[in-house]
Amino acid sequence: MLNILVCVKQIPDIDLVKMDPETGNLVRTGVPTLTNPLDLNALEAAVQIKERFGGRITLITMGPPMAESTLRECLAVGGDEAVLVSGRGFGGADTLSTSYAIVKAADMKGRFDLIFCGKESLDGATGQMASQLAERFDAAQISCCLSIEDIKDGRIRATRALENGRELVEATLPCLLTVEKDNFYGRLPSLDAYLASKSAPITVYAETDIDGLDPQKIGVPGSGTIVPKIYPPELPEPGQIIRTGSPRTDVGRLLELLTEKGSL
Amino acid sequence: MATYNRITPEIAAQLRAVVGNRFYEQGGVDPNYSHDEMPIYGKYMPEAAADVETTEEVSAIMKICSKNKIPVTCRGAGTGLVGGCVPLAGGLVLCTKRMNKILAYDMDNLVVRIQPGVLLKDLAADAQKRGLMYPPDPGEKTATVGGNISTNAGGMRAVKYGVTRDYVLAMTVVLADGRIIELGKSVSKTSSGYSLLHLMIGSEGTLGIITEMTMKLIPSPVCDVSCLVPFRTVEDCIHFVPKVKLANLDPQSIEFMDADIVASSAAFTGNPIFPERVRSEDVGASLLVTFTGYDEDELDQKMIKLGQIAKESEALDVLVVATSANKKSAWAARSSFLTVIEAETRLVDEMDVVVPVDKIPAFLIYIRGLGEKVGIRLRNFGHAGDGNLHIYCCSNDLEEEEFKRRVKIIMDAAYTKCAELEGQVSGEHSIGHAKMSYLRESVGEDVFELMRQIKAVFDPDMILNPGKVCDSGLAER
Amino acid sequence: MKKSDYQNMWVYIEHDGRTAAPVGLELCCELRKLCDQTGDRLFAVVLGELPESELDKVKDCGIDGIIRVSGTGYEYFNTDAWAKAFTVLSRKYNPSAIFVGGTIDGRDFAPRFAVQLETGCTSDAMELGWDAETGDIQFIEPAVGGKIMAVITVPALRPQVGTIRPGTFPCAPVGAKQEIERIEERIDFDPEKIRCRHLGFIPDESDPELDIANADCIVCVGNGLKDSEHLERYRTLAKLLGGKLGCTRPLYDRGILPYKLQIGQSGVMVKPKLYISFGVSGAVNHTAGVDADVFVAVGKNPEAQIFNYCDYGIVGDMDEVCDEMIAQIKALRQ
Repeated sequence: MLNILVCVKQIPDIDLVKMDPETGNLVRTGVPTLTNPLDLNALEAAVQIKERFGGRITLITMGPPMAESTLRECLAVGGDEAVLVSGRGFGGADTLSTSYAIVKAADMKGRFDLIFCGKESLDGATGQMASQLAERFDAAQISCCLSIEDIKDGRIRATRALENGRELVEATLPCLLTVEKDNFYGRLPSLDAYLASKSAPITVYAETDIDGLDPQKIGVPGSGTIVPKIYPPELPEPGQIIRTGSPRTDVGRLLELLTEKGSL
Repeated sequence: MATYNRITPEIAAQLRAVVGNRFYEQGGVDPNYSHDEMPIYGKYMPEAAADVETTEEVSAIMKICSKNKIPVTCRGAGTGLVGGCVPLAGGLVLCTKRMNKILAYDMDNLVVRIQPGVLLKDLAADAQKRGLMYPPDPGEKTATVGGNISTNAGGMRAVKYGVTRDYVLAMTVVLADGRIIELGKSVSKTSSGYSLLHLMIGSEGTLGIITEMTMKLIPSPVCDVSCLVPFRTVEDCIHFVPKVKLANLDPQSIEFMDADIVASSAAFTGNPIFPERVRSEDVGASLLVTFTGYDEDELDQKMIKLGQIAKESEALDVLVVATSANKKSAWAARSSFLTVIEAETRLVDEMDVVVPVDKIPAFLIYIRGLGEKVGIRLRNFGHAGDGNLHIYCCSNDLEEEEFKRRVKIIMDAAYTKCAELEGQVSGEHSIGHAKMSYLRESVGEDVFELMRQIKAVFDPDMILNPGKVCDSGLAER
Repeated sequence: MKKSDYQNMWVYIEHDGRTAAPVGLELCCELRKLCDQTGDRLFAVVLGELPESELDKVKDCGIDGIIRVSGTGYEYFNTDAWAKAFTVLSRKYNPSAIFVGGTIDGRDFAPRFAVQLETGCTSDAMELGWDAETGDIQFIEPAVGGKIMAVITVPALRPQVGTIRPGTFPCAPVGAKQEIERIEERIDFDPEKIRCRHLGFIPDESDPELDIANADCIVCVGNGLKDSEHLERYRTLAKLLGGKLGCTRPLYDRGILPYKLQIGQSGVMVKPKLYISFGVSGAVNHTAGVDADVFVAVGKNPEAQIFNYCDYGIVGDMDEVCDEMIAQIKALRQ
């Protein structure tokens, strides 16, 4: 039986995050959260593997206590167990320290044959976590996976998307995969699993619960990068807005201008 | 017998004096004003068009047009499906899309006063900001509320909340001769003579032009959840509907979709949210049942109950649409159905019949057999909870004439069957000119004649939306 | 760690054995400017065989030196050998920064060797700056869907690792230096230890509709699009203008259009003569990918940033304006 880990993340709905014009800080309070959509594609791939080859899916996330809801959402569609890595010490982490904390916490649950994670998160969007987790798990890596052909004898055969085509590869286990969404649209949870997920136990690991965790390698101290400054994008001066009173005349004027410019 | 006049330069000048540069003639008329979303019923260009903004403008225009016997066809967003807003007799198209202001909320009585050109989605969103809900929910969100009233549009939530008619409290109407009248009051009961208000609702612009209305709102439910219940066959699926209704679960909507439309929608939107296989079995048809409530426990209890009924029936599973992302996807898929059909098909015609809920399987089985026999591809989905079915006749390879011939065979037989099952010609798309003959057959000569007499009282010169609903005499004029 | 012990900046030259990918040259050109500020020397790093003529192109970008790595394990890209090579090289030469093109391969291995080296890694910077006081590179990039610009630094660790998307910087070679240092390294990676092996490759069938990088006219649809049902008119408009349809990221995320039509930093970079956007908010991630002669924006929200990037704007219902354009262009042509 395959031991599968799926890494997920709860993110704010970035469409609703605003920047405070006074302070220049991001206003996240009251912004609804969701499960990073690409993580749900990764979970779907894991669930398909579980169905085809047999396996057990452990979910893991790092975040505040409310990130529990993301784990429950994932339990409902096929996760068997869930781990929440949560504590003040983990806060402010970049990918270097997050990958460290996730891998140390996952080690508490044993060895994993397959690790899945989303290609990137819509909020951070570095796309670095997958590679860094793979490195820390000392695992092979298949990114942008399109289809999983077979798993046997400690190897996985899969196709992946490249810039100009698809590549067939074979990797040894343990292997970390990120997936393209095309063949891995998330499924709807079955009612029984949905209801069960509401009261399912979730393992919560604080800093002190994780064996051998080096406090210097988590959170802010463990991060390689910092964000010393954020600012609103500098915008060019607005273009010429055509306001003639009606869409019809607006378009008429635009086409005149474009004709003058020779753009049509 | 009434005859119509053409819009002479003098009349055009008078009309232009009313609306200024919002008056268009000949080449200046938006070509879209010649059709609605069902072009199979023909395109008819008006001589002129006016985008009106106020009740007074409408009144002034009607005075000019009634004096000169110019046909006037009122139009909103043009999203109808029966040729209702198509200017069969030419004349003037009066478009209300610029009358799109939400005028005032009365938060003590939970009513809102709006202009007819307000889009359904804009009213819904604006009410939502105030914690209120406008319950009618027709599939076409870019329709105008004025159009919804004129067709008494229904929609998905009708199971729980009723149809557009149930949310119209009062309206301002411009009569054919330009007089302005007020119908109804912002009260929840009335027992005060004939309800001309309700006569106007569903009259498709044949009795008067609605220029302002007062709509009822309700406090928004706090939360909602949907369950997708897949079945092997259409019959299993439909048989489940009465069980849901009897279980006292008070669903907001019960939507039916068959495997074909789900597959087409998934291919079209690129979003396979509704599964085509469940537990290793092919899904033949699914129901989407939506519950609303005031807390999550309440919804959970309803879902548990639904799950129990499902276990005792032929349901393959019960799937939950609970996260905002899944709700968005499910909604997008469900509301894409008509568009999918339009996009993948060259020739389309449709029926919007409504039958008693328990007669749905009988009707669907009959119509499927009919489609196969006649050689027309059918697509169907609909509001299973209230027996309202949208059946689309589609073809990509037939010649238009042959398609029309075959569709007529299907329609004739289908409406006969519908009558036999105690159904109605239209659940929510109304009559326009496309379904007039079927209306006539369905209601009988006595009723049809009464409708014509009523029309004559409101519009003796027959200038309002000629050739629609019960105006069968256009060809003679 | 003493930051001053780490000097010089490196650019990885991605290639397929025959030609060098443009992104490596773009990065060399951009970093030449940065190195002139910082006083670092600029090195190109090449793994495996690449013809001299291609190396000359790299040299033209103003580099101070080339590090050529030979050995086993470099026949076909694999993240194991690549990450290892950079770790070994970095430990030996202590560069201050390593830049890697943000291609699929680059994004695979760069974050991996950053972990092996336990250092900070950034991705997708759009501008590079330098803080003379701290000696840190400023990686400046859009964040939170382009709502803000974030300055990211690696304050204490070295090397500073960054992946940068192809097309972010122009390739403007300043010419080859007279003296270019050449370092030859042999780093063998046991092919048996490559954990993910290449078995085969099937090129994508070319669909001209999906090839928008060189289109002269692009009609771009953004998140203002209500639904896929409203899409057809934009295709019609594009066809009418002899152009192609493109989209912004949310439309790809919503499953409405394929990834190959996504315009912007994380999608396709385009440089059309005429670009018309409908319902596009104007997030930096998107506009960074558009280099148009004439830029037209249509959208409902007059406050949208897109109007800052356009030459001409129309505030209104996108569908209505599109229909109007189709009708009037048809009329013009009659």
